[in-house]
Amino acid sequence: MDKTIEINNLSKEYKVLNRKEGFKGAILNLFSKDYKYIKAINNVSMEIFSGEILGILGRNGAGKSTLIKMMTGVLKPSAGALSINGNTPFKNRKQHALNIGIVFGQRSQLWWSLPCIESFKIIKEIYSINDDVYEENMNFFNELIPLNELMNKPVRLMSLGQRVLCDILASFLHNPKIVFLDEPTIGLDIDVKDKIHKLILSLNSKKKTTVILTTHDMGDVDAICKRIVIIDNGEKIYDDKIYKLKKYFGPNKTLLAHINSNKIRDDSVVITNIKKLIDKHIQLIDYLSVECNNRWIKIVVDENQISVLKVLNLIQKEFDIDKIEIKEISTESVIKKIYEGKCL
Amino acid sequence: MKNYFKKVKYYIHIYRMILIQDLKTKMSFRADFLISSFSGIMLNAASFISIWIMFQNFSSIMNWNYYEMLFLYGFSLLALTPQLVFFDNSWVLCDKVFKGDFITYCFRPINIFFYYTFEKININAIGQFFIGVTLITYSWIKLGLDVNTIIVFKLIISLLTASLFMIAIVIFISSMSFWIINAKGLMDFFSKFKDYTRYPFTIFNNFFKFVFSFIIPIGFVAYYPSLFFIHTEELSWISFFGVFYGIILLYFSYKVWVKGALQYSGTGS
Ligand SMILES: Nc1ncnc2c1ncn2[C@@H]1O[C@H](COP(=O)(O)OP(=O)(O)O)[C@@H](O)[C@H]1O
Ligand SMILES: [Mg+2]
Repeated sequence: MDKTIEINNLSKEYKVLNRKEGFKGAILNLFSKDYKYIKAINNVSMEIFSGEILGILGRNGAGKSTLIKMMTGVLKPSAGALSINGNTPFKNRKQHALNIGIVFGQRSQLWWSLPCIESFKIIKEIYSINDDVYEENMNFFNELIPLNELMNKPVRLMSLGQRVLCDILASFLHNPKIVFLDEPTIGLDIDVKDKIHKLILSLNSKKKTTVILTTHDMGDVDAICKRIVIIDNGEKIYDDKIYKLKKYFGPNKTLLAHINSNKIRDDSVVITNIKKLIDKHIQLIDYLSVECNNRWIKIVVDENQISVLKVLNLIQKEFDIDKIEIKEISTESVIKKIYEGKCL
Repeated sequence: MKNYFKKVKYYIHIYRMILIQDLKTKMSFRADFLISSFSGIMLNAASFISIWIMFQNFSSIMNWNYYEMLFLYGFSLLALTPQLVFFDNSWVLCDKVFKGDFITYCFRPINIFFYYTFEKININAIGQFFIGVTLITYSWIKLGLDVNTIIVFKLIISLLTASLFMIAIVIFISSMSFWIINAKGLMDFFSKFKDYTRYPFTIFNNFFKFVFSFIIPIGFVAYYPSLFFIHTEELSWISFFGVFYGIILLYFSYKVWVKGALQYSGTGS
């Protein structure tokens, strides 16, 4: 595979003023030289290959966005080398921007009060996209998600999920070689996350676009990435195939289910009931941990032994469940194990 | 050269497109549009009435009579219009920079200043243009000034160059958002000086004359260029200098703005 991005000993420090309070402070701030430095990215090296979907995983404040901003040419690195297809992004931001697509999950780049389709038309002109290419892409997008209802809706009236879907489509409109997605699934429900995963996978496989995705959610990388890089405190602490990492955790998933009944007051009764239930039907008590808190049941399931859905079916027969959530292993626990040296 | 024209064509095309879309959305909020146009007109009417009341008591201010004051007022309204209409987004730059939303303007293969500034057009402020034209025409007739092609041409040129000053000032002050947190206060502070553009500078002492000519150059918005047409005895090299000074200031503020935008690093979230 061809390398498309090469990063060598890359670092980024933010220079932040130590601010003083009050009016006098505000005046002093203007002339102050009292800076502190925040090392957001520290000596990171990696290679990214053309056509891959790379997941960059890390907790909040780990430095993921900073890394993305450097790769998009918006931020200048403090030290080290960063080259994308032989060019240095920061040196020629505009030229670089033609070849990449960017989505920042929390901030839409679509025009807030315009119907989505009008934003797409403006983007078409900004990137000088040919009519043919535009048509072809819109048709392809329409196969992936029905655009009719989305395209005429002003972005400000969209749900977060709809908005992110549109932002992702917009970022692929000019056939970029690389697309950066910074926390595209932040704040979304499971089913919307799932839609986004599928969309990214189809776009990547049809267009052969390199996709670099950051997230703090293990579920995202599990669903769409083969390789992951884990960043913590600005440093790269893991860079390999995701299955190697998963070997160490077993295919555990956490099932959260909420009981919709005021009658149940005693959590410990629920626990014993569930344990009995499972004992009776599947006899797998060794592999499960069962907890209950404020009518939230939490069961860790080893999917090699039994699927989460089967367990859910079972408890649904006994309890009136109104909310569920299925969680991957938490990023925190992955990072903790990496530091303990268990994954290397 | 050919490339250069292509680029200009490209930017005009994009601008037209964004503009049409922006107008369409404005029209769809019709009540909003009417109310803000109306309040703009009322605001101007109020300051017009204050001039009128003043002249009920005095026959002139420092030798400037009622119609000359109206001319100055009309000139200032016209020269301030382009800033209001085309550079309205500058006023919210500090918010966008502070909250981190500005980063979304940095991803497109297009000049950031252009992309940010011309995203919106404040069409409501165009009402001010018509008031300005009316005032200038009315006072022009009352003062019995000449009308010929040369003088109209002169008026247009001096209005255009005068309009550069407020644009430059606002661009410069708003660009401070990239370095300091409370640029909003700074913007509010400087927008107050707008009102001083419609007075003859002879009312100021030497200190303020100097400040308003070179530090906060609002003298060039109406007073100095007006001297080409009325009170020509007060005309000096400064008025001629103003024609070039506006271009220099605009270029300088633009450069500062772009420098700030390029070193913008966003917020942590
Ligand atoms: N513009 C900035 N100025 C100062 N510090 C920043 C800025 N942006 C981010 N940081 C800091 O750098 C670190 C990494 O931030 P970021 O890259 O946004 O992390 P992530 O995207 O992984 O949550 C954090 O400690 C954050 O507070
Ligand atoms: Mg981030």
